[in-house]
Amino acid sequence: MDRQQEYVLRAMEERDIHFIRLWFTDVLGILKSVAIAPAELEGAFAEGIGFDGSAIEGFTRVYEADMVAMPDPTTFQLLPWQGERYGTARMFCDILTPEGDPSLADPRYVLKRALKRAADMGFSFYTHPEIEFYLFKSGTGRSTNPLVPLDLGGYFDHTARGSTNDFRRIAIEMLESMGISVEFSHHEAGPGQNEIDLRYADALTMADNIMTFRTVVKEAALAQDNFASFMPKPMAHYPGSGMHTHFSLFEGDRNAFFDASAEYELSKTARAFMAGVLHYSREICLITNQFVNSYKRLWGGAEAPNYVCWGHNNRSALLRVPMYKPGKPQTARVEFRGMDSAVNPYLAFAVILAAGLKGIEDDLPLPAEAEDDVWALTDSERRALGIQPLPHSLDEAAIIMSKSDLAAETLGEHVFEFVLRNKRQEWNEYRAQVTAYELERFLPIL
Amino acid sequence: MSAASPPGPGGRVRSTAGELIRAGLADAGRGETLLGELSGAGLELDPAQLAVLADPDLALLTLARITSAPGGLDGLRALWPDSVGLDRLLAVVGGSAALGDHLVCHPQDLAVFGQAGTPMPPAGSAHTVEDTTNTADAVRSVPAPAQWGDLGEQAEPGVLGARGDLGEPTGAQMTPRQRAFRATLLEAVGADPDAPVPVAAGPAPEPLRLAYRRELLSIAAQDLSSTDPTALFPLVSSDLADLATGVLEAALAVARAGTEGHERARLAVIAMGKTGGRELNYVSDVDVIYVAAPASGSISEAQALATAAQLATRLQWVTFGTTSEPAIWQVDPNLRPEGKNGPLVRTLESHLAYYSKWAQTWEFQALLKARPAAGDGALGGEYFQTTRRFVWSAAESENFVEDAQAMRRRVESHVPPAQAERQIKLGRGGLRDVEFTVQLLQLVHGRADQSLRAASTLAALAALRDGGYVGRAAAARLAECYALLRTLEHRAQLYRLKRTHLMPVAPKDLRRLARAARIVPAEAAGLEKTWQATRREVRSLHEELYYRPLLPATARLSAGEAALAPDAARSRLAALGYRDPDGAMRHIAALTSGVSRQGAIQRQLLPVMLGWFADGADPDAGLLSFRKLSESLGSTHWYLRMLRDSAGAAERLSHALAASRYVADSLARSPESARWLDSDQALKPRQPDELRKELASIVDRSDSPESAAMAVRGLRRRELARLATGMALRILDDGAARFAVSSTADVALEAALRLATTAVARQDGVQLTDLAIIAMGSLGGHEMAIGSDADVLFVHRPRPGADAAGAQAQAQAVAARLRSLMGGIGPEPALEIDPGLRPEGRAGPLARTVGAYREYYERWALTWERQALLRARPAAGLAEVASAFMELAGPVRYRPGGLNETELKDLRLLKARIDGERLPRGVEPSRHVKLGPGGLLDVQWVAQLYQMNHAGDYPSLRVTGTVEALEAAADEGLMTRADATALIESWMQAMSIRNANLLWIGRVGTAGDVVPSDPRQLRGVARLLGYERGTGSRLTEDRARVARHARQVFERLFYA
Repeated sequence: MDRQQEYVLRAMEERDIHFIRLWFTDVLGILKSVAIAPAELEGAFAEGIGFDGSAIEGFTRVYEADMVAMPDPTTFQLLPWQGERYGTARMFCDILTPEGDPSLADPRYVLKRALKRAADMGFSFYTHPEIEFYLFKSGTGRSTNPLVPLDLGGYFDHTARGSTNDFRRIAIEMLESMGISVEFSHHEAGPGQNEIDLRYADALTMADNIMTFRTVVKEAALAQDNFASFMPKPMAHYPGSGMHTHFSLFEGDRNAFFDASAEYELSKTARAFMAGVLHYSREICLITNQFVNSYKRLWGGAEAPNYVCWGHNNRSALLRVPMYKPGKPQTARVEFRGMDSAVNPYLAFAVILAAGLKGIEDDLPLPAEAEDDVWALTDSERRALGIQPLPHSLDEAAIIMSKSDLAAETLGEHVFEFVLRNKRQEWNEYRAQVTAYELERFLPIL
Repeated sequence: MSAASPPGPGGRVRSTAGELIRAGLADAGRGETLLGELSGAGLELDPAQLAVLADPDLALLTLARITSAPGGLDGLRALWPDSVGLDRLLAVVGGSAALGDHLVCHPQDLAVFGQAGTPMPPAGSAHTVEDTTNTADAVRSVPAPAQWGDLGEQAEPGVLGARGDLGEPTGAQMTPRQRAFRATLLEAVGADPDAPVPVAAGPAPEPLRLAYRRELLSIAAQDLSSTDPTALFPLVSSDLADLATGVLEAALAVARAGTEGHERARLAVIAMGKTGGRELNYVSDVDVIYVAAPASGSISEAQALATAAQLATRLQWVTFGTTSEPAIWQVDPNLRPEGKNGPLVRTLESHLAYYSKWAQTWEFQALLKARPAAGDGALGGEYFQTTRRFVWSAAESENFVEDAQAMRRRVESHVPPAQAERQIKLGRGGLRDVEFTVQLLQLVHGRADQSLRAASTLAALAALRDGGYVGRAAAARLAECYALLRTLEHRAQLYRLKRTHLMPVAPKDLRRLARAARIVPAEAAGLEKTWQATRREVRSLHEELYYRPLLPATARLSAGEAALAPDAARSRLAALGYRDPDGAMRHIAALTSGVSRQGAIQRQLLPVMLGWFADGADPDAGLLSFRKLSESLGSTHWYLRMLRDSAGAAERLSHALAASRYVADSLARSPESARWLDSDQALKPRQPDELRKELASIVDRSDSPESAAMAVRGLRRRELARLATGMALRILDDGAARFAVSSTADVALEAALRLATTAVARQDGVQLTDLAIIAMGSLGGHEMAIGSDADVLFVHRPRPGADAAGAQAQAQAVAARLRSLMGGIGPEPALEIDPGLRPEGRAGPLARTVGAYREYYERWALTWERQALLRARPAAGLAEVASAFMELAGPVRYRPGGLNETELKDLRLLKARIDGERLPRGVEPSRHVKLGPGGLLDVQWVAQLYQMNHAGDYPSLRVTGTVEALEAAADEGLMTRADATALIESWMQAMSIRNANLLWIGRVGTAGDVVPSDPRQLRGVARLLGYERGTGSRLTEDRARVARHARQVFERLFYA
């Protein structure tokens, strides 16, 4: 037993913890949880907890269902919202096969593998997400009962006697108590829409944090008899919920994206990384924007970046290079604005990292900066400038990704195949719907 | 030069050229002159004194150069005629050009030879006694300046003579020698050795470098003047390491003097590698790791780390930067966490976090040698203490076996080819081989046995011997080899003080080295011979050390051998990759018991075979199969003799048994097949003509068709076993094997056809017709796997005057008889004959005349029947009949203009239906190499589509093989090369996977068409396919990728 495991066992005793939740994430990015009693924990550290993986989206085939969840003691945290008398804690798990090999279906392993590749090239990968979500009143959002946002505020609004303010305070306190640092929070453009930015961390920790974050936000909203949603585009006329994320690569203690002498202080490495992300952005779109609904955010107006280009403080660009803060080389980074809040962060970080690394490996040239507002250009102008659109639908994204070796290699053939199968099915089910729009538009006249 | 030289000024007459030549001088004339000059200066030398020197010419020349250096003559005179000091001087100037040059520049250092210095005890004597009486007493007054803490490690012995005779603690406490070097060097840079944090008088590195050279001179003097350098080697190399740690301490003091605010950080320098193990070379990088901490609570960690990094960088410059004095050695900090990419300095917590999360097996192995060397003793001690658990739990990590094997492969293979033959250090039989062997045993057994936790190679070897983990005799021999190799390395390095691990090539250099190392005879050839013999011995000792102790005590061949206690044997077997160590121990006991000749030979053989089994995918199965085989064959006269005497039989047998159940079963079934293992040649496929001859005589001899058919089947079984063994050993490539399996089937069919024809004709009283067999399907394409059915058509031609109906009936009877002879139940495995591809399928007659075939194909042929004909070729029977059939088949299968719209549609529809229907339930499609996406069928159908469309116009497409057809299509520009390659790659991979499945599982079945999901089978199959151990899971990924690409091509080309 290593020191970290001993620490966990001691902490359990000292803090009178009666339940441990073992968390892991399925291929679609949904958090799964198994609760065990403290007495089981020592055994769990030694051998993991066996479970039937066939019931989990994307994990295994039906006929070889046994899997093992192996808790990672470094992720031990008390959960702030469960009851007062006895504590509950959580740990993230790695998923293993019964032989103890990492499961190829475990998104955490997918990310670890990608990070290992980066490490082999001498890089560590840091991310800093800005997570948007909506708060709605409880019980709304069914077909008979339209969605009612919690408030009618707008971007940066301070809502008076705002329960949203309270909500953010409570949520942030919970996050901080779990060791997740919040950098920034404010009201977003849509009614009831909020944004909370997490302080940058290495990609694996951050992916764990995002999974925790979503749970915390939902719990905090429930505690106030509201509910929170990370759906990419819940309301047609209001902005969707994106997860703009800043990325940087470090070589040891040095930010590999920074070069004081270059334009925008962007190093050659940063440019090649950006070139890679842009080059492969269409191929990995199915991962960065994984639901039918994601494409309504991308193509539903309201400033979602849907064209493959980059710019400096150009909010219409898919990749944005934020203004450099003089004297802070550590903060040099690029912002990827395509992802939405419903993403599976493990897989998304893995494919974006892989795309960027491929750019570095192949020394891809960075296309010229988009200086105009690409939304204002005509299709022909965009074509002339060589600016491609992201896929228009889940279907198109799946078709493009199915030909991507980068995606297959990064996700592993198993996850790759599962995602494609699952997404084709989602598309087929969606296509079979008769929507309110159709009824409204066509029923009267046809 | 003149033979009778005039007497020198001193009046000596004895120094004749002859004496000098006998003393080993190459240039006696010049020697005489130089000797005369020296004598003139009052420095008398007897040529006999030169006879023991490595390079007497060099010695004389250097002495002469020293006399002309300012102060040199006085320095030399002071050594005359003191024999000890003089001997040492001569040894140095005769053994090292670089140190000689140093003396020319710094004649004041000649004083080193006159002083008692820090004398090393004579070889073989008890170092401790000498130490505590002389040196240690001298330095005992110096209190231990740094707090090394009580680290409670076992004392480390030095030479392998007896344990503990050196009484030197590992890393933890400082030895008297260390303390003495440390004090001398610190004083040389003007630092106070008693200060808690010594700081030098100034930031200049020169004083340290000069002091280092003086100490080095002293060590080299004692070393080179020793008459038994291999015995002295442990002391020399521990002295060099102690000197190195002294240098690190003094260099740190100098670095502090040049670093403002150095007191902010506590910095500990941990020695790794040979420095850490106290077994350093003369010239080598000194491996270190830095640990830092804030000096007080008011200093932030970041500040402390920054300062410590500055100190470390400066320390490295002090030893290696360019200044007016030559560098000492390079400090190499790359064993640190994350290697070159990691921060130079870390906190202890950061080190531990890395080791608990990220470190790999080799890093733990490296930690085995860690030892606090300089700087903050408390911090260094804590680092040492807290990292021990990582070292001793390394053997438990799940990848340990794979990692260790991979490391061994690196040891063996990581030699630049140009140097491979001259390397003293790397390669098999080199120093690294010895070190690795010892370290691996330490890691495996050190967890349970604390006495093995020694840092130096020889100490660890002694501990392993005393603990009974390796045999006494083997350990002693290994130690001798190691000491000899190290001595050679030292001597080679001393000459120019260059970092070299190469054996020289020039005879002159070899001779010098031989003399320096006191090899007998001291000639180039003698050295070469001794060295090669030593390398060979190291290689063979590896097995002795590693595997022989696994034999039970009852199987000991001599008293000097070790037999491991059951627990130790269990952990060693587990570390080797045996899954069931208890079972393995039972087999070993059974194989090595008894007083018979068999037991004796197996006791000899088994240790090395255990290693070969361990190399394979399933060591346990290999060992068990060997036991079975030995039990059935042990009493035959040739079996054991072959294993013992043949160059590779035992190794081939071990590998094949551990790799393939099919081979193990085949050998068990016909043990005499084991004879093939004697040579690669016997494992090559036999020529069809040889087989044909053998079969002909079998058929002629047999009294009934049934018994003859059984003999034919037996022969085929034997040949399949041969091919399987060749494949399992990777002597035979898959393509050649497929061809051989197919032609063996041809030969068997031919014999069977003769048997059936004769039998039926005898029954009917007359032979009415002549048959030929047309090969179809995989047989036609020469693509048969072991276990494939033989797809065939029967065609016949009635003999002139024979009744047509009677001939037809007889032909059908022959075909039916042939099928039952080859396919029926019997003691030998069947060759199933499948005539299902004939016109009208199962409803059609079994055999037809050429004319009937022609009529059918011209009038009725369906698309699939034409497609099937693509693979038709004559297999057996009357050649004229077969060629008549092939002639008629030509226009049917190769139609100019290709398929029309309807035919194309039919073909596509048929394929789509097969895709939908034939894939078995419960199997993930992508794992199915035959019917899955991108599988065999996809590729085959693309190839056949192209043939049906284009073979009429392009004769090069008229081939029966899938790969050949695709190659031809690409050659003709009908499909792109990239598409053809993607398809071929998938096809070949799929065929190989099926093959490997069969070899691994041992029997034919549908499971063979699927990439195994059982992890053990997957590993075994992957090994058979040439994947390295531990990379088996890549097979699944690789197959999925290759098949995906092939499927993309298929969809584009087939449905387009």
